[in-house]
Amino acid sequence: MLTITLTHYLVLAATIFAAGVLTIMLKRNAIGILMGVELVLNAANINLVAFNYFQHPGTPAQPLLTGQIFAIFIIVIAAAEAAVALAIFLNFYNNFATVDVERATEMRG
Amino acid sequence: MPTPALLLLLATLLPLISAGLLMGLGKRMGRPLAGVVGTVFIAGSMTASLVAMAMWLNVPPDSPYGSGQGPVVQFLRWLPMGGESYLDVGVYIDSLTIAMFATITTVATFVHIFSLGYMADDARFHRFFAYLGLFCFSMLGLITAGTLLQMFVFWELVGLCSYLLIGFWYERKSASNAAMKAFIMNRVGDVGFLVGIGLLVYHLCHTSLPLLWMQLGGAGTMAPTDAAAGGFSYLTLTIIGLCLFLGAVGKSAQIPLHTWLADAMEGPTPVSALIHSATMVAAGVYLMARVFPMLTPDAKLVIAIVGVTTLTFGALVALVQNDIKRVLAYSTMSQLGYMILAIGIGSWVGALFHLVTHAFFKSLLFLGAGSVIHAMHHEQDMRQYGGLSRRLPITSLAFAIGVIAIAGTPFFSGYYSKSMILTHAAAYGIAAEGEGRAWANWLLFILPTAVAFLTAFYMARCWMLTFAGRPRNVRLYNDAQESWVIYTPLLGLAMMSIIAGPHIGVGHFLNGSIREATRYIESGRVAPLAPPARFAGFDSHWPVVLPTDLRTRGNAESNAIPEADQPETDTVPDTLEVAAALEHLWAYWAFAVGIGLAIAVYFRGYALTQHLARIAPVRHAMTFLENAFYIDRLYRAIFVSVARTVAFLCSAFDKYVVDGVVNGVAGLTRHLSTLAGLADRYLVDRAVTGAGEAALNIGAAVRAPQAGRIRLYVTALLLLATFALAIAVYLIGT
Repeated sequence: MLTITLTHYLVLAATIFAAGVLTIMLKRNAIGILMGVELVLNAANINLVAFNYFQHPGTPAQPLLTGQIFAIFIIVIAAAEAAVALAIFLNFYNNFATVDVERATEMRG
Repeated sequence: MPTPALLLLLATLLPLISAGLLMGLGKRMGRPLAGVVGTVFIAGSMTASLVAMAMWLNVPPDSPYGSGQGPVVQFLRWLPMGGESYLDVGVYIDSLTIAMFATITTVATFVHIFSLGYMADDARFHRFFAYLGLFCFSMLGLITAGTLLQMFVFWELVGLCSYLLIGFWYERKSASNAAMKAFIMNRVGDVGFLVGIGLLVYHLCHTSLPLLWMQLGGAGTMAPTDAAAGGFSYLTLTIIGLCLFLGAVGKSAQIPLHTWLADAMEGPTPVSALIHSATMVAAGVYLMARVFPMLTPDAKLVIAIVGVTTLTFGALVALVQNDIKRVLAYSTMSQLGYMILAIGIGSWVGALFHLVTHAFFKSLLFLGAGSVIHAMHHEQDMRQYGGLSRRLPITSLAFAIGVIAIAGTPFFSGYYSKSMILTHAAAYGIAAEGEGRAWANWLLFILPTAVAFLTAFYMARCWMLTFAGRPRNVRLYNDAQESWVIYTPLLGLAMMSIIAGPHIGVGHFLNGSIREATRYIESGRVAPLAPPARFAGFDSHWPVVLPTDLRTRGNAESNAIPEADQPETDTVPDTLEVAAALEHLWAYWAFAVGIGLAIAVYFRGYALTQHLARIAPVRHAMTFLENAFYIDRLYRAIFVSVARTVAFLCSAFDKYVVDGVVNGVAGLTRHLSTLAGLADRYLVDRAVTGAGEAALNIGAAVRAPQAGRIRLYVTALLLLATFALAIAVYLIGT
């Protein structure tokens, strides 16, 4: 019977991370890039939780939850970041009538 | 107390002021006002002239002015000519000047009033009156001029005004061409005038009229074998006379420089009335009258021949013209021919008398034509007229008076002046026969007499075709109307055409001019510097005292010139009486025959002439006359084509030789420059641009990745991070 080990989690996280990075690299839509960032962050969350669970679970009486707490922090920060980013994109859209990041070349030398 | 001279100065300057005013402010004054201002000024000028005339007539015998004592003469030294000689400027005012002033300003005033109506719709209304003012000033200046040079200046000024006014509607190609044609043909004549002046200045160092009369006054009685008069040989004097006459030929539209006058009809009709019939074209006659004592018998014979040719030519061509203004233009040419003929046969008073009467009745005819043209919406072709006396009764009446006057009907002014010229022509013929000269001298009487019939005929034809019969263009006919501003001047001029004969003593008045000149020159006031040669006066060259008679008499009593006519008092009336009888016999009924024939022929409009035109020879003759003997075409073939060929050759020379040299030099320079340029580009520029380009390349290289492309940054970041990680793993791994 297959047991789910740390490796599985790491592979899943790496896959999601790669998907996120590729999204950031290839998407021209700013919203899409934001989604990619979310994927990258969530991949990190999975890693954090997985490492915590498999490496430092603590005792059942006193479980160690450092990774999980980190993950929650990251989710909160990601929400804040998404809010800021969406505000930026909104402004961007107002100025350029698009959310294509390729068009953000105003400060080009 | 203003003197006549001051009044004439005022009369001369008023139109100039008006012209200046209208040039500057005319546009702001607006439509009726600008014309009214011009009219008021010229009316003031007329008032001053008439007052001057009245004063002139009423001077006490001991006054320094006026016909009692001689002319008003005032000269100022102008250009030093070396030694004691100066070129003068000044005025010479005598009865002729006064009469011309009165005539010109009166006609001009009526023409101004007429123009108020005629030009009312024109876009350049104010400019028209400004030009008219300038013209009046120039013409009056010409009349007062005391020296030939001064006269030449004003002569050119009237030519300029004529040019401006012929080409007034310059949007029309034909008008601007006609203006240029008039200008150029007048230049041809002016060359002669200028050469004549130049010869006089070269020999005498002055051009003052009284001085010239005094020094060269013997010319009229000279024979080719005579010794020099005033330092001139007979040949030189003849050449000078003919040179000056060439100027008059151009200005007065005599053959062979006549072709511009018919084309000048492109100008507005008031201009034709004032300039191209009454005043400017008469300036040539005036000039000839002023230089009359300097003309040798041969010069006068040429003048008479030119005059008689022109008057015959003009009348023949006027017979078949269909454009109403062209009829009048050729008629003007013909009448000017009478005046020039009169000068040539020595009828000084006759020429100027006819000038004055002609000014009135011809401007009347032109203004009448203008009234018709205005009423017919600028249709000038008589084939479109007919029956207009019912629509334009006052115009037709005034025009009829003009026709009757020009036809030489007794009690109308034209009769007296024309019969005076014809009488003198007859006297000339008698004298020539008595002298045993060629029978051809009689032509100088026969042709003008025959033309008197033609004149009556073609003018009556003009009236019949315009005002009688049935309307040939009903649409235009129904529109035709006349207004008071148009016909009032006609009535004024009609009155003048009737009375401007002996009724107001024009002939006597002009005779005064001869007496004044004679008295003035005898008074010794002319110039102390040169002793008088032999002044023979103006009237000593009358046909009755022919050169040979006078010469033999002159030799016999060489000092008794002034009253030299006295010994012949018993023969003079004889010749003149015979001449008058001849004139009476042949020319008296010209008006009746001409007008009657015209009424008979044109009673039914063109019907009879169209029948006649079916006969081939008649048709050919009519075409020939209609095209004015094809002289225009001849000139085109001779002069214009030659000028064109020369121009073409010049252009070719310019294109291939001049341009070739220039282009060659330019090409050489260009090639040298190319070499220099190459050196510059590859040696100097390389260094400079090399440095610049290096900086640019580095900049570009550095700039390229910083394109603001987020995805590129992310990719680079990721690749570098991966790479760094790989190295780290590798290092740690080892």
